[in-house]
Amino acid sequence: MKFEEKFDWQLLFIMCCFIAVSVVALYSAQQSPQYASNFAIKQLVFYALGAVMIGLMLLVDPEDFKKISWYLYFFGILLLIALIVAPSSIAPVIKGQKSWFNLPGASLQPSEFMKIFTILVLARITSQHHEKNKKSFKSDLALLSKLVAATALPLALIMQQPDLGTSLVFVAILGGMILVSGIQWKIILPIFILLTTVGSSLIWLALKAPQVLDEYLGVKQYQLARIYSWLQPTKFEDSSGYQLVKAMRAIGSGQLYGKGFGDREVYLPESQTDFIFSIIAEEYGFVGSCVVLVLFFFLIYRFTAIAFNANHAFSSYAMVGIISMIAFHVFQNIGMSIQLLPITGIPLPFISYGGSALLGSLMALGFAFSVSFHQKTYMFGD
Amino acid sequence: MGKEKKKKQLKKKSHLPFRLNVVFFIVFLLFAAIILQLGVVQILNGQEAQEEIDRTENTTTNIPVPRGEMYDRYGRVIVDNEPLYSITYTPPKGVQPEDRLELAKRLADFMNMPFENKLSTRDLKEYFFLQNREEIQDRVADVDTSEMENGEIYQLQLDSITEEEIQSYDDATREIIAIKKELDKAYALSPHIIKNADITEEEYSTVAEHLAQLPGVNVTADWERSYPFETTFKNYIGGITSRNQGVPRDDFDYYMSLDYSRNDRVGISGLEQQYEDVLRGTKEKVQYLTDKDNNVVDSKVIREGERGKDLVLTVDMELQKMVDQIVREELAAAIREAPYENSNLENSVAVVSNPKTGEILAISGQKYNRSLEEGEDRFSDVSHQAVYNAYTPGSTVKGATILTGLHEGAIGRYTTVNDVAINLAGKRKSSYTPNIGVVNPVSALQQSSNVYMFYLAMWLGGEYGYEPGGRISLAPGTFETFLYNFNQFGLGVETGLDFPYEETGFQGDDPNPGLILDFSIGQYSTYTAMQLNQYVSTIANGGDRMRLRLVKEVHDPSMKVEGLGPVYNDYSPQVLNQVEMDPSYIDAVQEGFRQVFQTPRGTASSIFSKEPYAQYRMAGKTGTAEATKYVPVNGGESYRPIRNLLNKTLVGYAPHDDPEIAFSVMTPYLGDDATSTFNVSNKIGARIGEAYFKLKEQRSEEGLSSTETDENPSEQE
Repeated sequence: MKFEEKFDWQLLFIMCCFIAVSVVALYSAQQSPQYASNFAIKQLVFYALGAVMIGLMLLVDPEDFKKISWYLYFFGILLLIALIVAPSSIAPVIKGQKSWFNLPGASLQPSEFMKIFTILVLARITSQHHEKNKKSFKSDLALLSKLVAATALPLALIMQQPDLGTSLVFVAILGGMILVSGIQWKIILPIFILLTTVGSSLIWLALKAPQVLDEYLGVKQYQLARIYSWLQPTKFEDSSGYQLVKAMRAIGSGQLYGKGFGDREVYLPESQTDFIFSIIAEEYGFVGSCVVLVLFFFLIYRFTAIAFNANHAFSSYAMVGIISMIAFHVFQNIGMSIQLLPITGIPLPFISYGGSALLGSLMALGFAFSVSFHQKTYMFGD
Repeated sequence: MGKEKKKKQLKKKSHLPFRLNVVFFIVFLLFAAIILQLGVVQILNGQEAQEEIDRTENTTTNIPVPRGEMYDRYGRVIVDNEPLYSITYTPPKGVQPEDRLELAKRLADFMNMPFENKLSTRDLKEYFFLQNREEIQDRVADVDTSEMENGEIYQLQLDSITEEEIQSYDDATREIIAIKKELDKAYALSPHIIKNADITEEEYSTVAEHLAQLPGVNVTADWERSYPFETTFKNYIGGITSRNQGVPRDDFDYYMSLDYSRNDRVGISGLEQQYEDVLRGTKEKVQYLTDKDNNVVDSKVIREGERGKDLVLTVDMELQKMVDQIVREELAAAIREAPYENSNLENSVAVVSNPKTGEILAISGQKYNRSLEEGEDRFSDVSHQAVYNAYTPGSTVKGATILTGLHEGAIGRYTTVNDVAINLAGKRKSSYTPNIGVVNPVSALQQSSNVYMFYLAMWLGGEYGYEPGGRISLAPGTFETFLYNFNQFGLGVETGLDFPYEETGFQGDDPNPGLILDFSIGQYSTYTAMQLNQYVSTIANGGDRMRLRLVKEVHDPSMKVEGLGPVYNDYSPQVLNQVEMDPSYIDAVQEGFRQVFQTPRGTASSIFSKEPYAQYRMAGKTGTAEATKYVPVNGGESYRPIRNLLNKTLVGYAPHDDPEIAFSVMTPYLGDDATSTFNVSNKIGARIGEAYFKLKEQRSEEGLSSTETDENPSEQE
C-alpha cells in the first residue's frame, strides 16, 4: 500500500487549519505594545519542530509505543521529581509554580509531555488487563485501582507544583479512560454520581455557608475567591474578577460577525496564552468562534473514528485518553472565558502560544497519525 | 500476526464501540454547552458588552478652583491665596514609557527639577532599560518567558543591569530621570503635579510658551492660604485641611455627596468652616472622549468652573490689632502691679461690636504665659474664649435685673430701697460698695446696689414679709420669670453669631431663694463675653436684640486680579427679637448706665469721667463676681479649687445718646486682695472706646470710608 493511501490527509488538513488560526490570532495578540516578542513566528517554529516529530512518530508502530510506554512514563516521573529537587536557577518559580526547566535555548514543562506518557501507560494497563484476566466484578475493581494508582503518581507530583489546571486534565483523562476500559456500569456510575454530588455540594457550601468549609475542611475565605469571582465577576472587577470581566466584554462585544482583524477594543493580559480565544471571538464574532469549535469537533470526530478502526485495543484506549485530554482542554479553556467554568490556567490546544504545550498536543496528534497510518495493514486479512 | 490473534483482540474490545459512542456523546454535549453559552454571551448580551466598552471610554475630570478670599470691613485682605505655580501632567490613556521619557527630555530644557537624594537604583535602571531596550532583551532572551507575567519579565530584565552601568549618569541625565519619575506617577486623564514648589516666573513662562511641544503638560496656578495680618483674628478665620489630608474622614460620605474630591481642601474650623459652601467655588467639569486607541478626540466642558466667592468681614482689622494691644498691655500691667495677689490671673477677653447692626468690630482674647518655654511668646491669642468660655459676670447684668423688675411690676420707676445689708437666716448679704443709702432704680445701677436687687427679686417672687434673720420663700416660677426676661437680651441663649460653635453658659435649674437672689446680681448663672456684648447692645440701641455677625457681605469673584467683585449676598442687620419692656424703662437703665460712667458716685467714674475718656461720653456697667477657679492636678485627674478670686467684667457703649460701639470685657480670677488692679476691665473698656474714636477721627481726616477700599494693609500700618 502506498504512503498516500495510508497517510491520514484529513488529520493533516485539520492541523493546517489550526496553524492558520493560531498564527493569525497570535499575530493580532502581539500588537499589544507591551509585548516585545514575535509570538506568531515562534509558534511557527514550534509547529515545524512538531511536524518533524510527527514524521518520526509515523514510522513507529503503535505496538512499539505500547512496549516503551512504561519507560516513557518513568522518564516523565523522573523529570517531575527532578523539578522538585532542582535549584531555582534550573527550575525557577514562575507565577508561584515550579513547573519549568530553564534549559539553555529553551524551557521545558514536563507535565505537558507527562499527559501523553500517562495516557499510553493507562492504555497499556487496560489492554493487558483484559488479555490476562477474565471479566468479573473483582477483576474490574483491580483494573480500576491500577488505573487510579498509575494516574495518582503524576497527579500528586503536579498538584504540589502547584498546577491545578494540568492536574484537572489528568483527572479528565482518567475519567475518559475508565469509561472505555470496560469496567462495569455498576462500578462506574456510583462513583461518577458520588463525585458529582460532592463537587456540587462543595460549591453550594462555598456560596451559602463558607464558614462550614472553614471549620471542617480548613478552606479559608480567600481560597474561595475563584468561585466567587466566577459567579459574580463584576463584584470583583478590580481583583480576581478582572480577567473574566474583560474576557466576557471582549467576547461579547464581538457579537455575531466580530470586529475584524486587528480591530479589538478590549485589552486583556495574557491574551496570547490562556485567553487567546477571546481574541478570536472579539475579532471574528460568534461565527468565527463556531468555526474554531467545529474544527475541534471535527478533530475529535476524526480521533473517534481512528479509535474505532484501530487494530489494537491499546491504540483505541490511548485514542480515548487523547480525546478526553483535548476535549477537556477546549471545554475548560473556552468555558472559563465565557463564565461556564471557574478560571483555571490551561491553554487552548494547537492555538495558544507555548512551546511545551504545543509540542505535547502535537505529540498526541502524532500518535493519532501513527495509529491511522498503521491500521490498514491488516485489512487484507479480512 | 495471525488471524487468530486478531479475532481474540476484537473479542476483547467488544465493549469498546458502545463506550466510544458514550464518550463521543459526552464531548458533543460539552461542545453544545459552549456554543449555547457563546450564543448567550455574544448574541444575546453582545450589544450590552459593546455599550459597556463605549461607556468606559468617556472620562470626566474635575479641575479644582481657588478658594474664596476674606477681606475686612474696609476691604483689606485678611486671607489671601498665594499663587503657587505648578506644572502638571495629564497623560492620555495608553501612553508608553518611551513617550514619557521623550517628554521628560524636552521638559528638562525648560525647567529645573531637584534630583538629589530622590532617585533610587530602580529609577536609574528603568532609564537605562529604556535607553538600551534591545540589548537588555537580548540578555534575557535565552530564558523562556512564555509563562511569566510581564512584571516578572521586566524585573528579570532590570536585574540584569549592573551597578556600574548606571553609575555614570551626569546631573543633566539625572534631572531627566527625576522628571520622568514624576511623569510615571500620573494616572491617565487625571492631572498630576510634576512640580509646585520653587517655580520661578521664568520657568513658568518658558514652559507655558512651549506647551504645544509638550503633550499632556499644563501650567496652572495652584494656591495656598496666606494671612497678611499673620495670627491676628486667626481663631475666627479658622483653618482648612491640607491637600494631603483632603476631606475629613469622619464626614467622608457627606462631602462625597456634595461632589468633593478626596484631596480637596476643606474648611474645618471658624469662618472657613461656617462659609465652606460659598468659599469652595465650583469646580470645572471636563469630559474627555477617547477613541479606541485611547487618544483624546474631544474634550467638552460640562460645567464652567468658578473660583470661590469672597467674604467681607465685619471686623476692622486696624481696631482689632489695637484692641489686642490694649488687652495685652492692661493684662500685663495688672499682673505686674500685683504679681502675688494676681497669681491666678492669666487671661482677659473683649468683644467690640456695632450695637445698631450687630456687626462685630473686634474680638480679642489674650492669655499671659508665666513660664515661657523656648520660643514661646509672652501672650497667646485666646480670642475664641469670647464664645467658648462662660464666667459669672457680677453686677454687669443688673440692667437686665432692673428691667425685669420694672416690666414684671416688682418695682416701679421710682421705687426706693434703703441699702442696708439683709440677713437671711443668719447669712448676711450686702452691697459691695458701703454707705449707699436710699436708692431708686437709676441710682441702684449707678452705685451697684446689691440690696436693691435682693428686694426686687423677693418682690418678684411675692415675698413681702422679709424680716432680718428670718427665712424667705419665693413663688414658684420666679426663676423662670428671670430667665425669660434675661433671654430677651441674649443672656443664656445663643447670640446667633455666624460661627460653627457657641457656648451658652450655665443656667441652673430651679435654685433655692438665696441663689435666686444671687442670680439677680450676676453671681449664679454664667455668660460668655459674646452674650454680654449682645445684652449691652440691646440696651444701647433701645431694645432690639441684634444678631451678631462676623460676615457682612459675600462677593462674587472679581474679574480683575485684585479687589472685590459684585455683591452676591448682603447680610443686612437682623433683629432677633425686640424686648418686651417699655421704652421708658430702657431709658431709665440707659440713664443708670450713663451715671455709672459719668457721675461722681458712679462705680466706674474714676476712669470714664476723666479725660481722655470723658470726651467720648460712654455709658456702661461694671461687675465683680466672686469666683472659684478649678485648676487641674495630677495631670488633669482631678481639680483643686482656688477660692476668693474675683471676675472683673465691664459692659459699655458710646456715645451714650447715639451709640456707635458696644463692648464687653471679662477678666476672670483676680485675687480679692489685688485692690490696685481692680480697674483692669474698666481700663480696657475705656481704652477701647478711645481707640475707636481716635481711629474714626483719623479716618475722617484721611477720607477712609467703610466700603470699596483697595488699600494694602501694609500701607495702613
